[in-house]
Amino acid sequence: MRVFLLLSALWCCVTGLADFIRIGNTGEPATLDPHRYNLRLEETILNDLYLGLTTMSPAGHIVPGAAISWDVSRDGLTWTFELRPNARWSDGEPVTAEDFVFSYQRLLNPQTASSLAFFMYPIKNAEAINSGNAPLNSLGVTALTMHRLAIELEKPFPFFAERLLYPTAYPVPPHAIAAHGDAWVKPGNMVTNGAFILADWRPQGFVELAKNQHFYDAFNVALPGVRYIPVQNATTALNRYRAGELDVILEFPAGELRWLRQHMADHVRVSPLLSVMYLVFNVSEPPFNDARVRKALALAIDRRILTEKVLKSGERISYGLVPSMVANYPTATTQLPDRALARNLLRAAGFTQDNPLKLTLRYFTGDENKRIQIAIASMWRSVGVQTSLHHAELNVHFADLRQGNFQVAHAGWFGENNPEHYLELLMSDIGDVNYGRYMSPKYDRLMRQAKRTADLETRITLLKGAEIEGLRDFSVIPLYSVMIRSLVDPQILGWHTNPRNVHGARYLHWK
Amino acid sequence: MHRGSRTSIVCILLLAIALFLGPWLSPWGEEHIDWNAIDTPPSLVHWFGTDGSGRDLLVRTMAGGRVSLTIAFLATLVSFAIGLPWGAIAGYTGGRVDQVMMRIVDGLYGLPFMFLVILLVVFFGRNPYLLFIAIGAVSWLDLARIVRGQTLVVKNAMYIEAAKALGVSDPWIVTRHVVPNVMGPALVYATLTIPGVIIAESFISFLGLGIQEPQTSWGVLIADGATRLHAPWQLIFPATFLAVTLLVLNVAGDQLRDAMDPQEKGVRL
Amino acid sequence: MTRFIFRRLAFALVTLWLVVSAAFFLIRAAPGGPFDGERRLPPAIEKNLLASYHLDEPLPVQYWRYLRMVGSGDLGPSFKQKDFTVNELIRAGLPISLGVGISAFLLALLFGTLLGTLAALGHNTFRDRFLSGLASLGLAFPPLIVAPVLVLVFAVGLAWLPAGGHTSPQHYVLPTIALSLPYIAAFARLSRVGCLEALRLPHVTTARSKGLSRRRLVFQHVLPSAIVPVLSYSGPAAAALLAGSMVVEEVFSLPGLGRYFVQGAINRDYTLVMGTVLVYAALILALNLLVDLLYGRLDPRVRSEMVASND
Repeated sequence: MRVFLLLSALWCCVTGLADFIRIGNTGEPATLDPHRYNLRLEETILNDLYLGLTTMSPAGHIVPGAAISWDVSRDGLTWTFELRPNARWSDGEPVTAEDFVFSYQRLLNPQTASSLAFFMYPIKNAEAINSGNAPLNSLGVTALTMHRLAIELEKPFPFFAERLLYPTAYPVPPHAIAAHGDAWVKPGNMVTNGAFILADWRPQGFVELAKNQHFYDAFNVALPGVRYIPVQNATTALNRYRAGELDVILEFPAGELRWLRQHMADHVRVSPLLSVMYLVFNVSEPPFNDARVRKALALAIDRRILTEKVLKSGERISYGLVPSMVANYPTATTQLPDRALARNLLRAAGFTQDNPLKLTLRYFTGDENKRIQIAIASMWRSVGVQTSLHHAELNVHFADLRQGNFQVAHAGWFGENNPEHYLELLMSDIGDVNYGRYMSPKYDRLMRQAKRTADLETRITLLKGAEIEGLRDFSVIPLYSVMIRSLVDPQILGWHTNPRNVHGARYLHWK
Repeated sequence: MHRGSRTSIVCILLLAIALFLGPWLSPWGEEHIDWNAIDTPPSLVHWFGTDGSGRDLLVRTMAGGRVSLTIAFLATLVSFAIGLPWGAIAGYTGGRVDQVMMRIVDGLYGLPFMFLVILLVVFFGRNPYLLFIAIGAVSWLDLARIVRGQTLVVKNAMYIEAAKALGVSDPWIVTRHVVPNVMGPALVYATLTIPGVIIAESFISFLGLGIQEPQTSWGVLIADGATRLHAPWQLIFPATFLAVTLLVLNVAGDQLRDAMDPQEKGVRL
Repeated sequence: MTRFIFRRLAFALVTLWLVVSAAFFLIRAAPGGPFDGERRLPPAIEKNLLASYHLDEPLPVQYWRYLRMVGSGDLGPSFKQKDFTVNELIRAGLPISLGVGISAFLLALLFGTLLGTLAALGHNTFRDRFLSGLASLGLAFPPLIVAPVLVLVFAVGLAWLPAGGHTSPQHYVLPTIALSLPYIAAFARLSRVGCLEALRLPHVTTARSKGLSRRRLVFQHVLPSAIVPVLSYSGPAAAALLAGSMVVEEVFSLPGLGRYFVQGAINRDYTLVMGTVLVYAALILALNLLVDLLYGRLDPRVRSEMVASND
């Protein structure tokens, strides 16, 4: 027995894996290049590897990152950042303002083909550069001194500090990219400025991060490393967690919540994600160009049943397009189901028992989505509407939506603590993410006015006006905010639920 | 007929009758949702319990079985429609044609068919028709070989020689004399194709690439049940039905084959 | 013999080319593309992306480019796993799929043949009926039923074996069992029939009448002929095992080729899908060739056929 203990202790010293936290991520990262990333599950890992100008506190607040402080000019157009003088790359090189200039130019360079480059379009000339219509050096990002960075914007954008949280705004190491070319993202080549470095990456096996000794706050990073293990299937994730193979899983099946609450209550972390799930009508196609039909279908849905009986994880009902968690923004008014009115509206629109409304409801593959659509179809049947369901993989689903190839569809929007991020979806000139091709001159006018306004309060009032206008037309039916369902080993401290569901491993430690 | 095969055939018929008539006897509709009975275990109200959406699992299992069996039957028909003429023509014509046709069959054996079927379904939609045509179109190879073998035997029979001597045309001989005579063994092998097709369909549906809600199949139900650790009835009932069906079909097919092949009698060591 | 192998190889190359072409055009004809996702892509960005993967060229040009690449052994970059090439992904996934596949195949072969032989040796006795029944039972439990049940019982319930992953030999136990069950049954049936036929062969009957010991009779005379039908089924069985590993890899989250294929198809990762299909096809063709060669060695009738087909 003693020999065994000794051996296992020795083994732990050799590998150092004993103190690693093993996190079951929701899938395999497609890339760890912050400028080419595309998925939320990559954000989690990149957030451990890199440090942007701003970063998130354990509770999800915006706090200084690579920048100690920043100033915004009176007109809201110029942001000046003071960088940490002691910030270093993982190979010991200092992190400078020039590195950020290089990084943002790389992000917006059309040759990088970054799919999320538009996150940085608020920067002056960013869109023109990314479309190939302006030279790289015309970008509104300048190194004033070695540790002073100025960013000029196209228009006032009060939420810019939050935009900088995304990996698209992380710095990348110019010297490592110069040395290794495209292979700079491989373990051994990758140089980072965050709390961890990339130690190993086995595709579909795991991504292993080790502590970065050059991190400016390395003293306060307790973990020697983290292992992100891709587990696509939430049931498999739960099985592996219960078998002790994972210390944290970022998603478990909704149906197991009750059992887990009864048997493993101190492991369960359930909290709302900053998001809105909604149904969208293709308003360019009859009969959904008739507001009465859209209103009838909206009134037939009982959101309380969806959240309390079907989903049951404590989801918050959404009556408006902006999630109720978004700060400083008044939530939309409650709208109760009214089946009698729904039937009358349908009758007025020409749909009777002999000539019922028939429609196809599209959604993307997933257990939760499936149960929601089944329930909605059943609610619509009770007002005499015949629904057929059609599901497709995420890629195909959203390609269909963008091409307007649908009647009614389920969609979701994730992301920011910023009402515009959600309300933009209904602007007529936003492009094909306005899936339903909703067009209201009044809505567009209010939104454009808001975007030109630097004063936050006036801006919010204008945005709210636009939201009310959009909801009055029933072009979308907001349903609920998604819940994050994670399991975290009670031995791990420092794990705070936050609405973005990003948990920096630098804040975690074992009991 | 063999006693065992009769029992199996009776079992299959009973199952089919239950699947197709069962829904008429149950008070629950296939898509009816019982909002207050989501995820409930088996009870007197819902004999098999309910699924994650509050639908009666007995009715869903029956519905899934109908879809699985229908697809299996239609796919087998498709494989029959290709394999029977292919084997009969190759066997009857013989020579160069036979060689080329059977070489094609050999070549097709080397293809990763399941993968092509999956590509088809993923790319061109979860359409049940597409599903059974695709599966049927890839499962005719065995049948073609067996039909060819039988045709070779029948070809030399007296009455065919006689027909040939009388100047009866080849297509006439094949359709009127060869096909009816190889039909028996072909049918027996078809019963062995059915379980294979059922597995193929459940396999694709299990990966989430097959049948669409609100329609269902045993593969879909098992895949759903497999994600529910604490609602085991959602896995057990459809899995049992599938397993029993596969068992019965395999046993029936085996015994029919044995009954036709009297060779295997009384050797003991 | 060399000519036979040479012809088969040429035949296999043509088959591979057909498979790749079918996959290529199927994928391109399908709706949805590799860069469609949850978030919007401004047209300029989409153009940049398409250009960087040569997707903006006419289809025949792309096809020719792909064929040339494959010809030189390069399966291209993965569209979704941007930091890896398809070659790197296959190198990572293939050993895992082969590990599960080969161990399941060996288990099925050994255990199935054993069951079948034992049943045949006691033909028409209770033992025969019991073992044959047991084997038939295996056919009724495809991996999609067995895999989730095994996880529930042995990983979650009893916690004897891991529920997923691939880092130690223990991780392969449950997937192997789940995958092999139906093939144990199939091999048992085939070897039983093979044995029964072998027992009727003249030289076996003669040997038996001479009073040869039971053990020598079985090992020297019965098993070698009984193995022939088993072997002839090995090619198709191996192919089916590879396909079945998709379900098993999904349930046990094993990062094998099957998972790459399914994920690639779902994500429209063109190069990854074509790469995996190509590797699978090559594997199946190679296996079939191997089985044919072995078959010729064991069964003289086939050997003469091979010689005949050389003319």
